[in-house]
Amino acid sequence: MLSLIIRRSRSRFINGIKTRTIFSSCSSLSFPDSSSSVLVSRRIFNSTPASSSFGFNSGSSFVSTTRSLNSEAVAVAATCDGLTVERIIANQWPILDENESDWKSHAAAISQSIQVIKRRLQWKKLLVRLKVLSAELNKPDLWNDPIHAGKISREHGSLTGKMKGVMTFERELLEHIDMLKLAKEENDTELESETLKAMMDMRRVSKEKELEALLSAENDPCSCYIEVQAGAGGTESNDWASMVMEMYKTWAQRRKFSVTVVDEAAGEIAGIKRATIKVNGEYSYGYAKAEVGVHRLVRISPFDSGKRRHTSFAAVAVIPILGDGSTRVQINDSDLRIERFRSGGAGGQHANTTDSAVRIIHIPTGITATCQNERSQHMNKASAMAVLQSRLDQLEMARQTAMNAQHTQSLTEISWGNQIRTYVLHPYRMVKDLRTNYEVSDPDSVLEGDLDGFILSFLSSSLDKDDPEH
Amino acid sequence: MIRIFPSLRFTSLLSAAKPLCSYSPAKSSTETNSLSITPKTPLFLRTPSHATSLSEVWKWHDWAKDLASSVEESSTNSEDVLDSVILHRELKWLIEDSIVDDPLVILHRSEIADNGEKNVKLRASLEELYDLWRQRIEKRRPFQYVVGCEYWRDLVLCVEEGVLIPRPETELIVDMVEELVTRDEWFKKGFWADLGTGSGAIAIGIAKVLGSRGRVIATDLSPVAVAVAGKNVQRYGLEGMIEVREGSWFEPLKGLEGKLVGLVSNPPYIPSDDIPGLQAEVGKHEPKLALDGGIDGTDSLLHLCYGASQMLQRGGFFVFETNGEKQSKMIVDYMMSNDLKDCFSDLKIVSDFAGINRFVTGFRL
Repeated sequence: MLSLIIRRSRSRFINGIKTRTIFSSCSSLSFPDSSSSVLVSRRIFNSTPASSSFGFNSGSSFVSTTRSLNSEAVAVAATCDGLTVERIIANQWPILDENESDWKSHAAAISQSIQVIKRRLQWKKLLVRLKVLSAELNKPDLWNDPIHAGKISREHGSLTGKMKGVMTFERELLEHIDMLKLAKEENDTELESETLKAMMDMRRVSKEKELEALLSAENDPCSCYIEVQAGAGGTESNDWASMVMEMYKTWAQRRKFSVTVVDEAAGEIAGIKRATIKVNGEYSYGYAKAEVGVHRLVRISPFDSGKRRHTSFAAVAVIPILGDGSTRVQINDSDLRIERFRSGGAGGQHANTTDSAVRIIHIPTGITATCQNERSQHMNKASAMAVLQSRLDQLEMARQTAMNAQHTQSLTEISWGNQIRTYVLHPYRMVKDLRTNYEVSDPDSVLEGDLDGFILSFLSSSLDKDDPEH
Repeated sequence: MIRIFPSLRFTSLLSAAKPLCSYSPAKSSTETNSLSITPKTPLFLRTPSHATSLSEVWKWHDWAKDLASSVEESSTNSEDVLDSVILHRELKWLIEDSIVDDPLVILHRSEIADNGEKNVKLRASLEELYDLWRQRIEKRRPFQYVVGCEYWRDLVLCVEEGVLIPRPETELIVDMVEELVTRDEWFKKGFWADLGTGSGAIAIGIAKVLGSRGRVIATDLSPVAVAVAGKNVQRYGLEGMIEVREGSWFEPLKGLEGKLVGLVSNPPYIPSDDIPGLQAEVGKHEPKLALDGGIDGTDSLLHLCYGASQMLQRGGFFVFETNGEKQSKMIVDYMMSNDLKDCFSDLKIVSDFAGINRFVTGFRL
């Protein structure tokens, strides 16, 4: 093994903790800090109107800086002994709780996050694109068309920024690992705990960045409604639907989202035929959208005296509640019909009931919304209106998506064929996601709301789908 | 069609200012005995002075749930039954109103398993909660009296025995007024009156949509209603806009003849013969004064129609709640005939969300 030649030449702050950066001679690649030069050249460019003809000088200076960058774009960061982010992942070190001060666990968690972020960026495509752009920028006649040149260099700048962000992060991780090994060799416990602490902080930051990468679609930050509808099969399915609903309620509570039941139609004997809950909290839609589809249950029915095995289905829909900033569908009052939900009898002074549920029907689309959980009719109506608004918004989004001919699966298309997950309680015990093959052998924990594994694996697999490289 | 009304009613109609109806007390209505009445404090506003162990509260909750689930089997009268789904929802609200902490510690006890030793602060003793729930189910005491409040529109109104619990249908009166005043600012400036205000619901709802320049006079014959309405007005800080006056119908409005821009009322409109057959919560607990509308239920409504012609200024608006169907048609017919012919324009029947022709509205010519 190569010995380390270390120059503790500078100290810097990472995440508020003082760490020392190592420049090691054994590293096969060097990472000159060129971000400042890129920034400078971009600043020069920005101060020059792209359409004006005197952009040539700054343009050429830009080219010269990018040329050196281009060569490092494909560089892979590694530690002294050749450890890379990819190798860390391949090692499959177990990821333990954050509080366990195990550097391998931290490194594995950070690497995993980096991998997700890279997927989100479509990393390989990004590198190829950067190469193309650099080649373009190197062409001597580029600035003959200043508008085109501006576009190219802007894109180049933005992609370079993204790439450098990830690479810096990667490098930081590997530097920490080197530092840790050094601390161990030198029995420097202070340095060791300092570095571990820095890695733990980095792990938190990387988790946040990973989530940002996973939940970066337009409506992901929204709150949402989750709707569960029982499949055919009466009591058996109604019971399953209520189990699914409970699963989401506890999941949401664990995630510290607030949950309110908006609408619930009870089954005749047990369970629910249908229910809608409102899940309030940042990114609740981004997570919950992973649950859209049909959920299948296999078990010995508690309702069957013959103790036979039954299969039941429940469909789940998730609707984002768009913020005020987004364009929402205009609803005309004249298009609405509002009905007392359980009317009957003379009403008025004749009747005293705390039940003031209303149903709102949007006549042109036939879409309806019901709310019965509020304590006044006025509030039930307002709540049902909010559901109706979101349903119409979603319908409009689906329509526009179809119009744009981008094939993305619409949330409104829950057909009973669209099965996403199977929960088997008998003859063996397992929950398996049919989209990601993610599986868990403890159905109870899942039904008690431990869904994050399923949700995150689905979200990251959706990134793969966008990325043809995978 | 010519309708023959009891002559007694006609005489009183001609002198609109006189107290009317068989139930109006003989005493002078200027003497306010509402002052000596202190309205009850609803559960949700009481001091949480009852520390109780969670396990005891869970025991009560189990008992209450069982009682709520058993109502349908034990009922003998198939016409007038409690609905256990609704009772379970009421139980949840009862808990929300009685507990200071998160109601989930009671509703979702599995979340904080084996924490039953912990104390929670209740606004009523556990003994009282047992008693209240028994009253709800065994005595059919309306839930709103049990908790002492009614959620109505975006308001939470104090209610108690002696005051009609405002109905969901009646919320629409405020919607209609809101629509009117947004369309025409003129209505925001003058005097409005809510006659037979009960808990003050409509008056408060209207005052809120009128904005700062609105003035509403709310009247009621019942001293309890006047006291409760006064308290509700105070709770919403609307003393500057709403004046609650005690007395029969238009009597407390002397001097305002021809001055009102708006007149609203949900008067008693149930025909006397229907009173004995009412749902237990209504018939056994709510004030007859607010329900019994005489032989065909129109005693008060006809009086109000006549009064509207006297009290409203030109262009003034009125809306009355009725028993629906036949009755609303009768009121419109009445307003287009006899003495009232040429008094009103744009007479309309408006239905509630159950599709019943519940309201009569119009303008003074």
